[in-house]
Amino acid sequence: MIKTNLIQMKTYFNTSIQRWCAVGLLSTVLLTTSCKKSFLDIDPQGQQESEQFWKSQEDATKAVNGMYANLRTWNNTAFPALAIESIPSDEADKGSTATDATFFNLYDTFTVTSTEGSFLGFWTGQYQNINLTNQVLDNIPAITMDESLKARYLAEAKFIRAYSYFRLVRAFGGVPLRLTVPKDQTEYNIPRATKEEVYAQIEKDLDEAASVLPQAYGTNDIGRATKGAAIGLHAKVAMYQQKWADALSLTNQVMTMGYSLFPDFEKGFRTQNKNNSESLFEVQCELLPGNKDASNSQYSQVQGVPGVVGGGGGWGFNVPSDALNTAFETGDPRRDATILYRGETTPQGDKIPTTTPNPRYNQKSYVPFSMWVSGFNEGAQQNVKVLRFADILLINAEAANEMGNTSLALSSLNKVRARARGTQTGILPDVTATDKTALKTAIYKERQVELALESDRYFDVIRQGRGTEVFGPKGWKAGKNEIWPVPDQEIERSGGLLTQNPGY
Amino acid sequence: MKRIFTKISVFTFLSLLFINAAFAQNITVKGKVSDGQDQTTLPAVSVMIKGSTTGIQTDVNGNYSISAPGNATLVFTYIGYTTQEIPVNNRTAINVSLASSSQQLEQVVVVGYGTQRKVDVTGSVATIKGEDISKQASTNPVSALQGKVAGVSVTNVGAPGKSPKITIRGTGTIYGNTNVLYVVDGVWYDDINFLNPADIASISVLKDASSQSIYGIRAANGVVLVTTVRGKNGDPTINYNGSIGIQRVTNGVKMTNGQEYATAVNEATMIAADSLLLKNPNFGKGTNWYDQVLRTAMVTNHQISINGASEKSSYNFSLGYLNQDGIVEKNNYKRYTARLSNDFQIFKGLKIGYNVTGVSSTSSDAPTTIFRGLYSAAPIIPVFNPDGSYGDPAIYKLGNGSATNPQATMDFFNQTNKFYKATGNVYAELKFAKHFTFKTSAGGDFSQEEVRSYTPVYNATVAQVSNTSILAIDRIENRNWILENTLTYDNKFGDHSLTVLAGQTAQRYRSYTINASGNNVPYNKDGDLYLSLADASSRQITDKGSVNTATSYFGRVNYGFKNKYLLNASLRADAASQFFGGSDLWGYFPSIGAGWVVSNEEFMKDQEVFSNLKLRGSWGKVGNAGVPINPSTQTVDQSAGLIAFFNGQPNTGAGIRTLVPPVIFWERSAGTDIGLEMGFLSNRLNVEVDYYNRTTQQAIFDIPILGSLGTENSTLIGNQADFRNRGYEFVASWSDKTSNGLTYSISANVGINNNKVLNVTSGANPIDKGGAGLTSGVLPTRTVAGQAIGMFYGYQVTGIFQTAQEVTASAQPDAKPGDFIYADNNGDGTIDGNDRQYLGNPNPKYSYGVNTNFAYKNFDLTLDIQGVAGVDVYNGNLAARFGNENYTKDFFDNRWHGPGTSNSYPSANMSGGRNYLANSFWVESGAYVRLRNIQLGYTLPEMMTSKWKIKKLRVFANAQNAVNFFGYKGFSPEVGGTPTNAGVDINVYPLFATYNLGVNLTF
Repeated sequence: MIKTNLIQMKTYFNTSIQRWCAVGLLSTVLLTTSCKKSFLDIDPQGQQESEQFWKSQEDATKAVNGMYANLRTWNNTAFPALAIESIPSDEADKGSTATDATFFNLYDTFTVTSTEGSFLGFWTGQYQNINLTNQVLDNIPAITMDESLKARYLAEAKFIRAYSYFRLVRAFGGVPLRLTVPKDQTEYNIPRATKEEVYAQIEKDLDEAASVLPQAYGTNDIGRATKGAAIGLHAKVAMYQQKWADALSLTNQVMTMGYSLFPDFEKGFRTQNKNNSESLFEVQCELLPGNKDASNSQYSQVQGVPGVVGGGGGWGFNVPSDALNTAFETGDPRRDATILYRGETTPQGDKIPTTTPNPRYNQKSYVPFSMWVSGFNEGAQQNVKVLRFADILLINAEAANEMGNTSLALSSLNKVRARARGTQTGILPDVTATDKTALKTAIYKERQVELALESDRYFDVIRQGRGTEVFGPKGWKAGKNEIWPVPDQEIERSGGLLTQNPGY
Repeated sequence: MKRIFTKISVFTFLSLLFINAAFAQNITVKGKVSDGQDQTTLPAVSVMIKGSTTGIQTDVNGNYSISAPGNATLVFTYIGYTTQEIPVNNRTAINVSLASSSQQLEQVVVVGYGTQRKVDVTGSVATIKGEDISKQASTNPVSALQGKVAGVSVTNVGAPGKSPKITIRGTGTIYGNTNVLYVVDGVWYDDINFLNPADIASISVLKDASSQSIYGIRAANGVVLVTTVRGKNGDPTINYNGSIGIQRVTNGVKMTNGQEYATAVNEATMIAADSLLLKNPNFGKGTNWYDQVLRTAMVTNHQISINGASEKSSYNFSLGYLNQDGIVEKNNYKRYTARLSNDFQIFKGLKIGYNVTGVSSTSSDAPTTIFRGLYSAAPIIPVFNPDGSYGDPAIYKLGNGSATNPQATMDFFNQTNKFYKATGNVYAELKFAKHFTFKTSAGGDFSQEEVRSYTPVYNATVAQVSNTSILAIDRIENRNWILENTLTYDNKFGDHSLTVLAGQTAQRYRSYTINASGNNVPYNKDGDLYLSLADASSRQITDKGSVNTATSYFGRVNYGFKNKYLLNASLRADAASQFFGGSDLWGYFPSIGAGWVVSNEEFMKDQEVFSNLKLRGSWGKVGNAGVPINPSTQTVDQSAGLIAFFNGQPNTGAGIRTLVPPVIFWERSAGTDIGLEMGFLSNRLNVEVDYYNRTTQQAIFDIPILGSLGTENSTLIGNQADFRNRGYEFVASWSDKTSNGLTYSISANVGINNNKVLNVTSGANPIDKGGAGLTSGVLPTRTVAGQAIGMFYGYQVTGIFQTAQEVTASAQPDAKPGDFIYADNNGDGTIDGNDRQYLGNPNPKYSYGVNTNFAYKNFDLTLDIQGVAGVDVYNGNLAARFGNENYTKDFFDNRWHGPGTSNSYPSANMSGGRNYLANSFWVESGAYVRLRNIQLGYTLPEMMTSKWKIKKLRVFANAQNAVNFFGYKGFSPEVGGTPTNAGVDINVYPLFATYNLGVNLTF
C-alpha cells in the first residue's frame, strides 16, 4: 500500500514541478528515503526479539544463567526476605535507628496487614524466579543442542523452581502453581493450589532434578545446583512435612556424597570460602568491577554495620536479638562468629565503632570493610547460604530421632557440635540424651545456634509447633500466624479469585 | 548538491537584478497614518505597493516614506483596522486615517498547515502574540504561556534550562509521549526550550480535537503552533532587548532550629524506642541549611536581531544569550542561540526560503537530590567543624534519612551538560493557476547532548565517602527529519469562499544514547576527563537507540457562505512504524466543524448589543503514536542484573521478563467543542465561552497484572483504558482608550476541567503509583475506573491518640499515643487496607489568569495574575521519613507532645507504627494565586532619542512570581509528575521570584 502511494507521488513530482531545483532537492530526499523497501518496517533497536531466542545452545545457557542471577535480587535477599523470613523470629530485631524503616516492627509484633509492601515484594520475587525457570522448561526442550547438557539445564531449572515454591509455601501456604509460561490472557489468573499440591510439585521437581544433576561441577560452573543440593533441599522439604522416613533416607544419601563441615565456623562465612566443602547451595553474588548492575546484591549491605568510616555504609537491619545473644552455651565460639558486637575487633581486623546505633550486627553476612568499593553496594560479594551440610546433619539427627534411631541422631548432632568446638576443650560437650523428647529439644536448640541469622529460625519454630511458646510473647497467635497473608494487591488483581488466609 | 547551490546563487543574482529594476521610475511618497476615530497616530502600519512585495512600516509617530511609481496604489494594513487602498496619482504627500474594524473578525490566526481569519475558525484556537511572550523577559517561551490561555495549564519545574510541563484541557494520554506537539515553522518538536523567546512572532494553541485533528498522529496532547519572526519590509531594523535580574526563593519553608530539632528527635526516639537519641539537646540555633546552600542568583539575557526586506528578499537574523544561575550554588545555565531566515521571491509565483537555528547550551547541574537533602538535613550538624572538616551526622547516629551533609553533597558534585542543536527547514512555495499554492518543506532537527559527571575521591562524612574516582559520560543524539508537501486551492466566488488543502508528510525520528564510565581518571585539568585514562578493567559502556517513522496524508475543506455560514472538514491518515505488522497500521482522524456568524445576519443589522456574535461547534478525532517502539514485540532482556556468577566469574544471562499484548491499536480521542463568541460595544468587550468533551478511547495504558506472573514490573501494556476530560472555558477581554489618553486592556480566563477514568480493562483493579522516595515505598496515588487519573488514596485521619487508654479502646491496639487515628470506614473494628479511601485529586479543576495592560503617555504597565484551584498536593517531603530527618517549624509548633497538645498533628514519631501509611494528613490543597508578572515600562520621548538615531528606547522593570498566595506547607504547590504519579511533592525545585531591569532598543 505504501509502495503504491510512493510511486504515485513519484509520478506527481516528476510531471508537475520537477524543474524547480529546490523542489527537486526535496523530492530527491523524499524518494531516496522512502523508496527503501519498507519505510515503516523498523526493527527493534538493540533488542533481541523473543521469537529469535531459544534457537541455540548459547541461548539456553544464557536463559539458565539468568535464572541463577535473579536469586540475588532485592526481593529475594534484602528487605522483603528479611521481613518475612527473619525479623519476626526471636533471633533478630529490626535494627538501625529507632525511626528508620519502622514497618519491620509490624512484622516483629505480628500486627502487620496484607497491604504491607514486603509481602508483595517477596511474593513477586519468588514468582520472578519461577517465571524464568518456566521459560527454560518450556523452551529448551525444542532446542537442538547437546542432549546431556539440555537435561542438566532442565534439572537446574526444576531445582530453582522447587526452591522458590518452597519459600512461598512456607510463607503463604498454598499458592497459585504455575508450571508453564501462560500462553495467553486466559491463563493469567489462576486460583491457589493447596499446600499439599504445592509440596507435591516441589518434591517432584526435586526428585527429577536429583536424578539428572551432577554431584559436582568443573571449576567454571561452581555454584550451579548439584545433585546434593536437590536431595538436601528435598530432605528439608520432607522435614517440613514431617515425612521423617524420607528426611532420614535423603539426608543419609547426602551424607555419603562427600560433604564435610568446614573446620573453622567463622571463616566458612567469609568470601574467600564461598562454596566450601560444607556448602550444598549458595546464592552466588559478586562485586564485578565496573559493573554495578551485576553487583546488585544488597544482602550484606542491608545488614551491614552502619557508621563505619570508609566502610561503605551498611544499613544495620536484622540485628541479633537479646534472645539470640543468650541462646549460646557458655564458650560456644559460634556466638562470636555469629554476632558482631559494638566496639569489637573482627578476626579480619575491622574495629566495629563504639558509636553504632545498635549493640549487635549479623556477622554471617559481614564483609570486611576494606573490600568495599565506592559506588558499589557494600558487601555485594557476599554469597547467601541457602543450604549447608550442618543443616543436613541436623535434619538427619531430627529424622533419626523421630524414627527411633537414637544413635544416628546423636552422632549426626554431635558432628555439628564437634566442628563448633574445634580444638577447644571444655566447651560444647557431646549430647548424650537418649530420651526422644530431650534429644529433640537438644536438636532444636542446636539448629537455633548453628543456623542463627540464616533465615531458618522463624519457619523452623513454626514447623516444630512451638510458635506460641517461642513467639507468643511477641504477639504470635496460633491459628493465624503460621502463615502470612497473601498480598492484598494480588487478591485485588485476581478479582477475588485468590482467597485470603484465615485471620487476615 | 553542488549543482543546486549553483542554481540558488543564480536565483539570488537574478533577484538582485529585479530589485534594481523596481527602483526605476519612482517618486517618494510621505505621509502620516492615524486612527480614524481619535486621530492618534498609528505606528507599524504596513504600507505596501499593490501587486509587489515592496513596502515599509510607519514609524513610532505614524510617519512613512516610500518610494513608489507615480501610478502605483498604496495598501495600508494594520491589525484591527480596515485595509485601505489609495492610488498615488503622482502625489508626494498622502495622509491616511484608518477606520477601526471589528478586530476579532479581521484577525488572522495560524492553524494547522495554513492560516484562517479568526472569524472563519470553527474550532477553539487561542493565539498569543510574540510581543506578549518576549515582553515578559521570560527565559523559556513555554513558561510565558502560563495564565494566558484558558484551558492551558503550565507547571513550572524550576531548574534553569528545563521546560515546564504543559497540559491542554486536562491529561489527554497517560502512556508514552505525554508532551504537547510543538510545530515550529512546520517542524515537529517535543519541547521548544531551544527557542529564543524574542524569535517568536506568534503562538497558536489548538485546543479542540477538530483543529488538532489535522496533526492526527501526534495530536492527542494538544498542538502548539509557533511562527517565528521573518524579515519585515523596509529598511533594516535593529532590535536589542536586554535584561538583568536576580532570582530568589520565595515562600520558603521554615525548618526547626537545632534546639527544636533535638527536642523533636528525642520525643520521637522516646516514643519509638524508649530512649533519648540526643542526651544533651542544647544545640541553640544550629545550621540553617537553606541559607547555607541557596543563594540569590543572577540572570542575564541579551537578544539582538536585524531584519529587513527588499522587494525580492527578506531576512531576519537574531542572536540570543542567556546566562541564568540556579538558586543553588554552582547551578548555572547558559544558552546561545542564533537564527537566520531568508525568503526569496525568485519570480512571480515562486518563493523559496529557509530558516535555521543553532543552539548551544551548557549547564552546570545541581545534585539531583539536593532539595530533599536540604529539607532533611539535621540543623544540629555544623557545616564545617572548627578543624575545617565537614560536620558529620554520624556522630549523633542520626541514621539513614539525614546521614548526609548537604554542603559536602554540593562540593563533590561535578556534572555538566552540553547541548547542541541545529534545526530548521527549507521550503519552496509556488502559486499557480491563480488559486493554487503548492508548498514543499523539508525540516531537520539534529542534536547532541553530552552529560559528563566526575566523582572525585573524597572522605567527607561517614556516609559520604568515595574511594575511587568515577567519570561517567552519557551522549544522546537525535536525528530527525520531516518532509511536507501541501497543495492549497483558495477561491472566492460570489457569496462563497472555498479553501481546499491536500497534503502529505513523511517523518523519521532516530535517537541514540551511549553511556560510558570508568574509574580512577586523574583530574588535574579538564583535558584529563577522558575514559581512555580510566582503569581498563573498570570501563563500561552501553548503548541503546530507537527509530520510528510515519507517513501521512491529509486533506481539509473550508467553506464559507456570505461570511455567515462556515463549514470545515478534514481527514488525516497516518501510518506509523510502531504499528507495523499489526492489523491497525493506518489511523484515520476525521474532523468536522460548523460556524454561524449570527451578527452578519440581516436580522441583526439594527441591533446594537452585539458587535459580533458567533456560534460554532466541532468534532474531531486525534491519535497518539507515542507508544514504545514495537509494543507487541516481546524482547529478550540481557541486562547486567541477569549476569550469573559461577566460581566468581561473570556469565551472561538472559530472560524474558515482560508480557506483551498480542496486538496493539492506535490510541484515539474524540472530542466535541461548542463555542460562543460575543463582541459588545464595538468589540471593546469580547467574550468567548467554550464547552468541550473529549474521550480518549483505547488509551495505551499499563495495567497492573498479577505479581505471580513473575514479570519485571507486574504491568501489561495495551489499549486498555477510556477516560474523559470535560469542561468549560470562559474568556472575557476588555480594551479601551479613555479621553485623557489611557489605553488599557483587561483579559480574564478560566478553565474548568473534570478528568475521569471511564473504563479500564482490568475492571475495578487499581493502578497504584507514587512510591518513589516515600517511607517503605508507600503508594499514595491510585488510578481506577470511576475516578480521576492518579487520585490520592489512603487512610482518613480522624484525630490523634491522646492516651494509652484511648489506644486500647480503639481499632488500632498497636498504636501509641501521638499516632494518627484512622477512620474505620468499613466498621469491622480493625484498620486495614479495606479502610482506605480517596483523599484528593492532583488534577487541577480550575485554572485561571487575569492579564492586563495599561499605557499612558510614555508609561506602560503589565500586570498578570494566574492561579489554580480545586487541586491537591501530597506533601511527600514531610511524609517521607527513614530516620531523623528535619521537621518543619510548622510541624514542630503544632505537633502532639502529650495529651491535649494536638488532635491533628501527630507526634514527632511521624513515620513510626502505621503513621507512615498514605493518609489524609499529607494531602493538602494545592491551590494558589500568583502575581505572575508585573512590568512597568517607560519609553523615552522621541525628541530625545531621535538625536541618537534611535527609533525607540524603552526601559522597564519587571517581577515574576513576586507575590504568591497558597496554603500548602511545602515550597511550591506546582509539583508536576507523570499522569498516574502526579502531585507527590518530594525533592521539588523551590519556587523562586525573578526581578529584572531591562531595555528595549530599536534602531
